Amino acid sequence: MRRIVVLASGLALALSGHAADIAGRWQGSAQIPGLPLQLTVDLDRDASGNWVGSIIIPELAMKGQPLMDIAAHDAAVAFAIKGALVEAKAEPAKFEAQLDSDATMHGRFTQAGNSAPFTLKRIGPAQVDLPPRSTAVAKELEGQWVGEYELMGYPRHVTVTFTNHEGAPASVEFVIVGKKHNDLPVDFVNQSEGIVRIESHEIGINFEGRLRPGSSELAGTYEQGPIELPLVLHRPNGSGQ
Amino acid sequence: MNVSMIASLTLAVACATSAAAAPMFRGDAAHSGVSTGKAPHAFHRVKWQFPTGARIVSSPVMQDGVVWFGSDDGNIYAVDAGTGRQLWAHQTGGPVAATPAIANGLLYVGSGDGKFYALNAKTGATKWKFATAGERHFEAPGIHGLQPKAQMIPDSYDVYGSSPVVAGGSVFFGSGDHNIYALDAVSGELRWKFATGDVVHASPALADGVVYAGSWDSYFYAIDAASGKEKWRFHGGEDALVHNQVGFQSSPAIADGIVYTGCRDSNLYAIDAATGKEKWHVNNNGSWVISSPAVVNGNVYFATSDSSLYQVVDALTGKPVLQQVDKSFIFSSPVVAGDIVLLGITNGSLQARDRTSGNVLWEFQTEGSKQNPGWVLTADRHLNNSLLFRTRSYEATVVAATRLQGVGAIFSTPLVGDGVVYVGSTDGNLYAIE
Repeated sequence: MRRIVVLASGLALALSGHAADIAGRWQGSAQIPGLPLQLTVDLDRDASGNWVGSIIIPELAMKGQPLMDIAAHDAAVAFAIKGALVEAKAEPAKFEAQLDSDATMHGRFTQAGNSAPFTLKRIGPAQVDLPPRSTAVAKELEGQWVGEYELMGYPRHVTVTFTNHEGAPASVEFVIVGKKHNDLPVDFVNQSEGIVRIESHEIGINFEGRLRPGSSELAGTYEQGPIELPLVLHRPNGSGQ
Repeated sequence: MNVSMIASLTLAVACATSAAAAPMFRGDAAHSGVSTGKAPHAFHRVKWQFPTGARIVSSPVMQDGVVWFGSDDGNIYAVDAGTGRQLWAHQTGGPVAATPAIANGLLYVGSGDGKFYALNAKTGATKWKFATAGERHFEAPGIHGLQPKAQMIPDSYDVYGSSPVVAGGSVFFGSGDHNIYALDAVSGELRWKFATGDVVHASPALADGVVYAGSWDSYFYAIDAASGKEKWRFHGGEDALVHNQVGFQSSPAIADGIVYTGCRDSNLYAIDAATGKEKWHVNNNGSWVISSPAVVNGNVYFATSDSSLYQVVDALTGKPVLQQVDKSFIFSSPVVAGDIVLLGITNGSLQARDRTSGNVLWEFQTEGSKQNPGWVLTADRHLNNSLLFRTRSYEATVVAATRLQGVGAIFSTPLVGDGVVYVGSTDGNLYAIE
């Protein structure tokens, strides 16, 4: 198996032509006027030979934020921050650089149309923070659940439907009906130690709950930004599913 | 109150208004937000800028060629309107975030030290001081969803102090000690105080012998100016979850028997001045209305914070007349000067808009706004929210508020003189723009 992975990695490298080896932990700074940022960037290849990465910026309370669009061709290096420092439908925060040598790069950091120089120096092996992955859910969670909560004086009706898929994470339909019908895009579902968590990053709404022992209630918390409200889900009309 | 007392108060207000260009917050006791000054139709230059030692959120007032204002450096300043030269400074024991009022040769204003001052307007000498029970910011556990959730956290956006209104021999103002005060304007003796349930940093307005002011307790009050007795109260929204959508920070304007006020519950309200019954409201979908409305010729001019909307609505119905999206939170209040509306923006710009079309005629940008330290603003000068507000910790919010000061945010409400606009900035400068 290891041999196959190595061969696959080699193939990916060969296809990318003059791909530079940028794997490692890089440290440096971006010179934003009035707010210099300390940067720690981890870049590595996954088992498929694709680049993965994460970034740490203490001044922005950021640790292990995933990177995307990682590219290294000849001396040109580029990567972008995924899911942070960006408004909806805007360009992601980007780093574009040139390798000066095997161990240093310099370039421009661009965010919200502002741009500042940055430099990075390779200091050791990569320690990429991989984001938690979605999982399948227990069989007793499969199917439809309903519940209700009240926000700012208005009732909201919630329907959550879990569906497992062979060899893949579960998918979730998460619908909230208040003044409007909201079909939330769910991008994370995870069940671990009996706790199930659903996240809609785009909307900023989450649910975390646990099946009450000996009952058919999924009791937990609805989270919307800073608001946390108790939410108990049950089977519709007391049905099994 | 008897009829003669109402007449006396009304006359006193009228006299005070006609004797000066803009002697108090929003120009007059009814807080019309209308200026008799002439606003420039184009930006030519900064005529002068007067540096102080800290941010300015207080708004300037003017009379007989003198501009007065407060600064968070603790001083009340008198500056020559023509030259920008300091005439005097009076040091108080705390930030002066309220706007002074000038009447009968005296300047009245409260300070963060919890004292209310009456000074000789020409010399800055103390005439009298009145000690309230102490100033404080609005605070609530886990306010705005900040952490620690169980801790009382002061509101970083409670930036203003209550600005006084002077009429009928009394000076009226609100306080962080939850009270609305009426003092004898000459002696500083307490005439009455009216207890509300929370901080009063909105500025009282006065019409027909009634003082109108909102409190952070979610109520808006009408109080008899002579006796201090409550006439009615109006209930705004409440927010028991994160205490974000509650409280009157906006100051009211009164015109033709209607009180107009913004509220943190995201509404602009029109309330019958006689009965306290709501006539209409404009909901702004969760965005605070901190800006104080201006009312003239059947239209109400106001702005919103997070949604950054500049809006004009019909004064009788609340129906929209004009709506334009701006680039950053708006706390400053619009001032109508002839065919121009002036408005300060928290991205460090002062805008002059055509009153009819709403189009921006000219814009002044502070140096801090141009330099954009810490990328508080995006390249096109919107507030860079995704970088500025990264976490929900209280400390991070304080840092964000401090960074916002660096771009010279304009919380101050502009004052229009003869072809010159005066406005304060969080960069510590009072600007005279022509």
